[in-house]
Amino acid sequence: MSAMDGLAGVREKRSSRRSGPNGMDRRAYGFLLLAVLLSFWELSSRAGWIVSAYWPPVSHIFAAAIAQLAGGEILLALASTLRRAAIGYIAASVAGIVLGIVLARNRVLRYGLLPLIEIVRPMPTPAVIPPLILFLGVDDALKIFIVALASFFPIFSNTFTGVAAIDDTLIQTARTFRTSTVRLLARVVFPATLPAIAAGLRTATSLCLVVAVLSEMIAGSSGIGYYLVETQYAMRPDLMYAAVLYLAATGYALNRIFLALEARMVPWMGRS
Amino acid sequence: MSQRLGFDRVTKVFEGSGNDADFVAFDDITLEAAPSEFLAVVGPSGCGKSTLLRMAAGLTDPTRGKVVLDGKPVREPPPGVIYLFQQYAKSLFAWRTVIDNVMFPVEGAPRARRGELRAQCRDYLRQVGLDGFEDKYPWQLSGGMQQRVAIARALAADPQVLLLDEPFSAVDALTRMELQTLMLQLWERRKFTAILVTHDVEEAIFLADRVAVLGARPTSLKEVIDVGLPRPRDQLTTREDPRFLKLRHHITASLLARNDGHVASA
Repeated sequence: MSAMDGLAGVREKRSSRRSGPNGMDRRAYGFLLLAVLLSFWELSSRAGWIVSAYWPPVSHIFAAAIAQLAGGEILLALASTLRRAAIGYIAASVAGIVLGIVLARNRVLRYGLLPLIEIVRPMPTPAVIPPLILFLGVDDALKIFIVALASFFPIFSNTFTGVAAIDDTLIQTARTFRTSTVRLLARVVFPATLPAIAAGLRTATSLCLVVAVLSEMIAGSSGIGYYLVETQYAMRPDLMYAAVLYLAATGYALNRIFLALEARMVPWMGRS
Repeated sequence: MSQRLGFDRVTKVFEGSGNDADFVAFDDITLEAAPSEFLAVVGPSGCGKSTLLRMAAGLTDPTRGKVVLDGKPVREPPPGVIYLFQQYAKSLFAWRTVIDNVMFPVEGAPRARRGELRAQCRDYLRQVGLDGFEDKYPWQLSGGMQQRVAIARALAADPQVLLLDEPFSAVDALTRMELQTLMLQLWERRKFTAILVTHDVEEAIFLADRVAVLGARPTSLKEVIDVGLPRPRDQLTTREDPRFLKLRHHITASLLARNDGHVASA
């Protein structure tokens, strides 16, 4: 399991152990804190506690966000970021799941490829952007590649350790039914690893958006990352913050969608 | 009669790693089960009983000697030899419903036969008393019911030899008796060869035609005892039969390395 999927789980566990506020109340508390912080922001700007052109009242930011929506520009930027993130994510998922399963099950390939993967993994993704620009240019190919590279590792690692953790009894059961290797991988190993794969996919879900934005900030001509840098140069903090707001909402929505899909795809998670 | 499954002078040595010495699991065991025979193997825990079954299933190779199935040496999992694990929960496919678990062994069949096979699998579930649980998931069932699913799945694979690796030791005492009776009914109906490995002497006598007693490490075959109790067997009357009690006494004493009440000097 990765560290990223813990937040919701921790909250659930606590609530079941203690007799605390129920679901609705809990959510209300969270939003209350959010409202207090936002009011504090609004106040700090309007009352002049922080005097800065880069600290507009939060109400201005919301107004800017709505105006952006009307212009359509922000949605286009968001769409192009999401497109890159999605392509990279899907490529990383296929590669990560296939390699994770194959390497965990095949000793020769494992000995051959694992050292390479272990060397590349600790490299911070942004560090490889400048050298990669030389080969892939500054267009989509670069950004999609970077997204795929960053998303690959959590998916691969979770799949790999997930396969290794399958109980031998399960594999031997399939073997005594004379299951072919291909069928064993597709019908036993893959589904048995799905909970671990889902954990990796979830980590990659938030990561792919982060990296897509980052790559657009470094080498961009479109997308939310580029928009952020552009509005910063243009001294339009209200537009900049509003874009961040949209990004946060997108990240939140992606995670919710993922959780809903996970609950449908892996209903036995944590049950066996 | 030709032997269905035989161990021919089988020795298994687990190689020690590093400073650990090699570990002889068992030494020079010769034993065979006739077709349709119910053979039980009892021995102290850790004597390598399961390894014996794993070799019969082609999951591991003997170090010396060979396992022979109908005259042919066993190298990889042979068709018709089905293994029932003690850890039913780990042996069932958690992502599949009960009926889909049972379908697993026959899924390689042509699509046209799917419906017919599905009906057959439903019948196996009925035979193990799981009528109406087809669409549940294994984790929604009790331990005893999960093992019933595993048994139905074994039936679906059309077993010629059924290897039972302490399959009833992880359920409560009452459920264990129910499963034993169920296993006997199925065995009498299907006439497969059954080899049961257990540390439960009463279970061995209750189920088997013959009981092979293994000694302590390095494990060798101490004796093979004909049970000779009438069938069908009954959880009450069979277990109260004086011959049953005599066999239990004899085998237990043998396992405890005693000679009918006297502590062995060794």
